[in-house]
Amino acid sequence: MRVTSSMMLRSTLRDLSQGLSRLQETQTKLATGKQITRPSADPGGTSSAMGMRQDLRRAEQRSRSLNDAQGWLETADVALTSALGSLGRAKEITVRASNTGALGDPVARQALAAEVRSIRSEMLALANSTYGSRSIFNGTADGAAYGATGVYQGNDASIVRDVAPSTSIAVNLTGPQVFGTAGGAVGDVFETLDRLANAIAAGDATAIATEHANLDSFRTVVGAATVEIGTRSARLADAKTRAEDSRLLMTTQLSEVEDVSIVDALITAKAQETSYQASLQVAAKILPPSLLDYLR
Amino acid sequence: MASLSSLNTSFSGLNSQKRVLDVIAHNIANATTEGYHRQRAELQSLGRSSTSGVFSGVSQSYGVDVSGVTRAYDVLLATRAVREDASRSAANMMKTSMATVEGVFPEPTDLGLAHQLDVFWGSWTDLANDPGGLASRTQLLENSAGLVTNLRRSSNDLQAISDGATARMNTIAAEVNDLADQIGNLNRTIGSSFGENLDLLDQRDVLVGRLANLTGAVARPSDANGIDVYINERAIVSGTIVQRVDGTAGPLVWMSDNAAVNPTAGEAQALTAVINDVVPRYRARLDDIASTLVTQVNALHTTGYDQSGTTGRNFFDPANLTAATISLSIDVAGQPANIAAGAPVLPGPVAPGPLDGELARRLAALADSAAGADTKYQSMITTLAVETRSAQGRASIQEQVADNAIRDADSVGSVSLDEEMANLTAAQRAFEANARVITAVDEMLGFLIERTGVVGR
Repeated sequence: MRVTSSMMLRSTLRDLSQGLSRLQETQTKLATGKQITRPSADPGGTSSAMGMRQDLRRAEQRSRSLNDAQGWLETADVALTSALGSLGRAKEITVRASNTGALGDPVARQALAAEVRSIRSEMLALANSTYGSRSIFNGTADGAAYGATGVYQGNDASIVRDVAPSTSIAVNLTGPQVFGTAGGAVGDVFETLDRLANAIAAGDATAIATEHANLDSFRTVVGAATVEIGTRSARLADAKTRAEDSRLLMTTQLSEVEDVSIVDALITAKAQETSYQASLQVAAKILPPSLLDYLR
Repeated sequence: MASLSSLNTSFSGLNSQKRVLDVIAHNIANATTEGYHRQRAELQSLGRSSTSGVFSGVSQSYGVDVSGVTRAYDVLLATRAVREDASRSAANMMKTSMATVEGVFPEPTDLGLAHQLDVFWGSWTDLANDPGGLASRTQLLENSAGLVTNLRRSSNDLQAISDGATARMNTIAAEVNDLADQIGNLNRTIGSSFGENLDLLDQRDVLVGRLANLTGAVARPSDANGIDVYINERAIVSGTIVQRVDGTAGPLVWMSDNAAVNPTAGEAQALTAVINDVVPRYRARLDDIASTLVTQVNALHTTGYDQSGTTGRNFFDPANLTAATISLSIDVAGQPANIAAGAPVLPGPVAPGPLDGELARRLAALADSAAGADTKYQSMITTLAVETRSAQGRASIQEQVADNAIRDADSVGSVSLDEEMANLTAAQRAFEANARVITAVDEMLGFLIERTGVVGR
């Protein structure tokens, strides 16, 4: 084939500019630290990187929900444990009040009755426990769960948090679930404590015995609620561990897809630089000579 | 007489070599001229028997003549080079345009729409966790506004790419008309000039090449050294008659009947594809994403209740279903309290408690909807990435093909200085040799004149 200097010039220029543009590409990767600087650099990688980023952000979102749920359950746990303690004290007082000696002494009865009433208001305060500014036994209603007279003001809605992909946990128990439903023969725990106080004050042994039995059944109910909250906390802790694990894994995977391997990129850059310099040198050597240099 | 005819013969040699030298000088002078094809003086020996003379019997005249100057031009290779170069310029323009389209979507980064969608859905989760807080509601409105702005910006940026292509098309139309005029004029000049003017042919080929790079035009020879130029089988130049094109509305049209030109290669082809196909297609996909977002969010939001128990409000304006127009509804814009976070209590439906966040939770779950905005956006980005990459691939392949075709054409037509030097030396030597012959004949004649007929003097 006939080769002329203009052809060589053209192809040399093309090769040089290709070498330089490859070098620039590697340079961009090194400077940004990213393997994928734009979607077309790696369509498959872009697609998986976008998916992973989405998963990662969902996981971060869920971990916020997880922490929130944990706060709810811890608050409920504290409230319920204290409530159990209070009910235990109420039982002790009932036992002491059942003692005929005490029944005979109106002053002692009044003292015991007052103590029961203070336990009732303690229980009310516990039932109005809040997380943030929100009553935790109130369903989705606003304000305090129980009014000053002990009337439930909330609703029976359950509050749910998404804590893992397609896994949600209810974070609340409503007042009636924990403290019983008002009205009827037994009513809720507050009505029972009210009646108990009245019975002790009046020295009515039969009524005291009845309310003693009711108190026991409420202790079972609150105990069961405590266990329920404990179980949910355990599930939550599990979910949290798993979330942390998978978050770590996702971060690693994302980095593998997106981030540049510095060593690889440096070696590539060095190789490209060498080859660019070599082609520059060759170009400088072969372009000038022509027959003109040898004709004298 | 033999000796006198030798003088003539050598004289023709001197003349011819001078002509050869002229052509070599022309070649060297034009070694770097665009589109120049090296020229050759074709020498032809003159050997004809002349009439028989009285003294010599049959005599012959000898000599050399320049029969013509030709250019080294291989029509097949040259046509191929023009065609491949036109395809290269289309592929390059497409590559650049796709890169611009890709630049509208900065993925995968925290600046892209994917991130903003995630933030948007995340805000709903935050609202679900704290339905009573003003902060979470305000945050949601802010993030929604950010999402809306980004969608609008992306759609407008795409339109701007199309507008830029239209503007370029306008200048292309002017260039095309100008080139066609020049080709028509050259056809006239070449047709009316005596003999072949090789340099004008080269000039015309350069113009055809430029026209091809813009529109994929092809030239076909017509009568009297003229050429006709066709774009997609319709003549833009036929002889000296020139048709005009118009690009004010974007894709080129013929001025005479407003029919689409539909260039087959060149920049205009790529730009036509950008205006008619690429930009509308990606804008439609953005519109689909926007309308999915509006429809899905509104469908849930209208069933929800805000804290005061009001229901039936839209979150996005249901009338604005395109990416360029998407907006928050007037009910919620600037009024965070009007965002519905509560889901209806069934049966009923009746209003839930004011601190219910169930609807916000369900809205947040739309993020994972199989036919949701996120999925559609990701699939759009994947399509865009693949399309951009294949445009890059096509461009780099076409670059090679065009380079090879041009190299092949150049190998025939371009000036090699080495070759010209060698030819120059040969012509120089030939000239010297011819001069030498004249000297020899002169000496012979001188000998005759000086030395003969002196006997007896």
